[in-house]
Amino acid sequence: MARTFEEFPGVEWVEGAGLFIRVIEERCDGCANCVKVCLADCYEISGKKARIRDLDKCMECASCWYVCPRDAIEFSWPPGGTGFRTDWG
Amino acid sequence: MQEYDVVVIGAGFGGPVAAKKCAEAGFRTLMLERSAKVGEKVISGLTIPFYGFLFGPAFIRDGNPPIERPVDGIVNYIIKDIEAGDMEIDDSLRIPKPLSPILAFGYNAYCQPFCQWEAEKAVESGVELRTSTTVVELLREDGRVVGVRTDKGEEIRARLVIDGEGSQGLLAVGAGIREKYPPEVISLADVYDYEMAKEDVDEIFGYTLRFCWGWDEQKIAPPLGHGNGLMVWPYRESVHFCQDQCLAMDDGKVPNLRKLFEEYHRNLTSHLPWWKEEIEPRARLRARVFENFEIFVGLNERLRAMPNHADGIILIGDAAGLESTELCDGVPAAWFSADIAADVAIEALRAGDVSASFLSRYDERVRAHPIIQWSITAPHRYNLRFAQEHHSLEELRRYVHDGWGLGGFAFMSTALVRMILQAVREDPGIIASWLRMFPRYYYNWLHERYDYSGGKGEPPRDPSREPRAAQAVVRGGLRLMDAALALGAPLVRAAAGLLEPAARFANPAMKLLLPGIEALMRGWKKVEPAFVPLSDRIIRFVGRADPATFAAPERGGR
Ligand SMILES: Cc1cc2nc3c(=O)[nH]c(=O)nc-3n(C[C@H](O)[C@H](O)[C@H](O)COP(=O)(O)OP(=O)(O)OC[C@H]3O[C@@H](n4cnc5c(N)ncnc54)[C@H](O)[C@@H]3O)c2cc1C
Ligand code: SF4
Ligand code: SF4
Repeated sequence: MARTFEEFPGVEWVEGAGLFIRVIEERCDGCANCVKVCLADCYEISGKKARIRDLDKCMECASCWYVCPRDAIEFSWPPGGTGFRTDWG
Repeated sequence: MQEYDVVVIGAGFGGPVAAKKCAEAGFRTLMLERSAKVGEKVISGLTIPFYGFLFGPAFIRDGNPPIERPVDGIVNYIIKDIEAGDMEIDDSLRIPKPLSPILAFGYNAYCQPFCQWEAEKAVESGVELRTSTTVVELLREDGRVVGVRTDKGEEIRARLVIDGEGSQGLLAVGAGIREKYPPEVISLADVYDYEMAKEDVDEIFGYTLRFCWGWDEQKIAPPLGHGNGLMVWPYRESVHFCQDQCLAMDDGKVPNLRKLFEEYHRNLTSHLPWWKEEIEPRARLRARVFENFEIFVGLNERLRAMPNHADGIILIGDAAGLESTELCDGVPAAWFSADIAADVAIEALRAGDVSASFLSRYDERVRAHPIIQWSITAPHRYNLRFAQEHHSLEELRRYVHDGWGLGGFAFMSTALVRMILQAVREDPGIIASWLRMFPRYYYNWLHERYDYSGGKGEPPRDPSREPRAAQAVVRGGLRLMDAALALGAPLVRAAAGLLEPAARFANPAMKLLLPGIEALMRGWKKVEPAFVPLSDRIIRFVGRADPATFAAPERGGR
C-alpha cells in the first residue's frame, strides 16, 4: 500500500517505514533547526523539545540529521522497499 | 551465512558501474539496494556532462542509456532588478549550429530509468541484485570490514565491500570511516517537475539549460554563494526546476528553508517574465521532491582529506565526498571512482590483500584523476558569496562567466586535455567510439530507443527512407578510422604520451586565447542562421540513418 499527499505530487510513500528517525530527548535543547529545514513538516517543538509529529511525508533527505548541533537525532533508513519513492527525481 | 567476493552497497549511479566490472572479472558480486525499484529513491538535476560519457565506463559510452534531452549550453540570467525586469544574459557557453544538437555538452536524464538501465547492464554481466534490502551495518572483525548486515537480520560476508550509498554516508559514518559532513557544506535542493508538450519544450528551450542568479535581497534565486542559484532543465516532455540552499550559513545559523523555498519559488514564478509568459501557461506541475547534496565538501581541505577506504572497504561517488562544486555534477565522479574502485578491488582480490594499505592505491588514483580533482575544487560557486558581500555586479558577472560560461575553459582545459591524452594512450580506438556516441545518443533520444526493460525497443524502420549513400560513406569513414587507429596505435600512443607533459599549459593557453574565441563565437552567432538548414539536414540524416551506422564496434573495451 502506498500513500500520496497533495503538496508532493509525483511521490508515493510505501507503508511499513515505521519510525526510522528518533529524537533523543535528553540531548535536545529545542533549538528548532530541525523544524526549519524539514520541508515535509515532520517536526514540531513542544515543551522546549523537538518532537517528530509523523514521518508520513518524509523524503529521507537527512537535513534534520545534518543540522542538529547536539547530535540528538538518531537517523537510519526505513526498511527496504518502504518509505518514499518517485519516478521524477 | 552467504559469502561473496564483492558486496556493492547501493544501485545509484556509481554502484552498478563497480559491480559490473567486478562480475566481468569473474568475481561473485552482490549489489544491495534499499529501494524496491532501482533508482526510485535517487533525486537529482540532472545534466550529466559530456566528460562523464567520454571518459567514464565503456558500457555507458558504447551503450544506449535512457536520456531525456541533449544539452547544447547554458543561458545564465543575471537578475539585477526583478521588479524593473532588468536582467542581463551570459549565454557564452554553447555549442553552435550546425554542430548542436548532435554534438552535445551533456545529456539530461531522470535518475530512476538511468540507474535502472545501469543496474540491468550489471545484472547481464552476472551481478546478483537484491532490491528492497537496506544495509543497516557494516560487519567488522578486528577492525576490518568483512561484510554487511541487512534490515532482515541477514549477515552477508564479502572479501571486499564497495560502498556506493550516496552522500549521507550513514554506514561509513556509523562505522567511523569518515565523519558526518557539517551542514554548511550541504545544500538542500527543492525540485519541481513540470509536464509540458515536447513541441513547447523544443520551442522555448531547444537544448539549452537556463540558470538564474540574483541578489539575495530580491529573494528570487537562493542567496548567492549559499546555494546553487536556480536552474531549469528542459527534458523530453517536461521541465525540471531546482533551487537549492546550504543547510547553514557562514556564521553557522540555520536558515528557515521551509519558509524561504516557498517564498523564492513564489517570487520567481510570479516575477520572472519568461516563466510567467512562456512556461506557466504551458506547464503542469507533476512532481515535487527534495534532496540534499554535498555542494562544498571538496573545497574544504579537512573534509577532502577524509578517508575514502579502510580495511576491506572502498567508498565511491557521493559516499566518498566526490560531488562537484562547480557544475554540481556528481555523476561523472561517481562513474570514474566506481571504475577505479573496481580496478583496485580486482587487483586486491587477486593479490589476496584487502588491507587499507593495499587499497590506498584507490585514494592515489582518485586524487590523481584530473577531472575529479578539478570538479571538486573549482571555486566559482563558492566565490559567488563575495560578489554578494561586495554587491559587485562586475564580480558576479565574472564568477558566472568563469563557472557557467565560456570562461570555465580557462580552468578546466588542463584536466580535459589530460584526460583526452590519457584515454587515447590507453586505447587509441576510443576516438572512433567518441565520434559514434554523439549521433547514436541523438538517434536514441529522437526515437526513444533505450535498451532496457523500461525502453520502447527498436523503432519501426523504413529502409526505403534511409539515406543509404550518406550512411554508407559515414559508416565506411568510421570503419576506416577504426582500422587506421588500430594500425597506427603505437604511433598515436606515442604522440599522446609526448603531448601529456604539455597538458598543463592548456589552462594558461586558454586564458590567452579566450578573448579571441569569444569574439569568434559572437561573430558566429550573426552568421549562424545561415547554418540552420545544414543543421536540419544533419539532424534528418542522423534520425533516418540505420542505427547500426553509429553502433560501437565489438572491441575488447577498456
Ligand atoms: C538536486 C540535485 C541535483 C543534482 N544535479 C546533478 C547534475 O546536474 N549532474 C550530475 O552529474 N549530478 C548531479 N547531482 C549529483 C548526483 O545525483 C550524485 O552525485 C550521484 O547520484 C552520486 O551517485 P552515487 O552512486 O554516489 O550515489 P546515489 O546515486 O545517491 O546512489 C546511492 C544509492 O544507494 C542506495 N542506498 C543508500 N543507502 C543504502 C543502504 N544502507 N542499503 C542499501 N542501499 C542504500 C540509495 O537508495 C541509492 O539508490 C545532483 C544531486 C542533487 C541532489
Ligand atoms: S529526513 Fe528530511 S524530510 Fe525526513 S524528517 Fe528529516 S528533514 Fe524532514
Ligand atoms: S536540531 Fe536537534 S537540538 Fe535542535 S531542536 Fe532539533 S533535535 Fe533538538
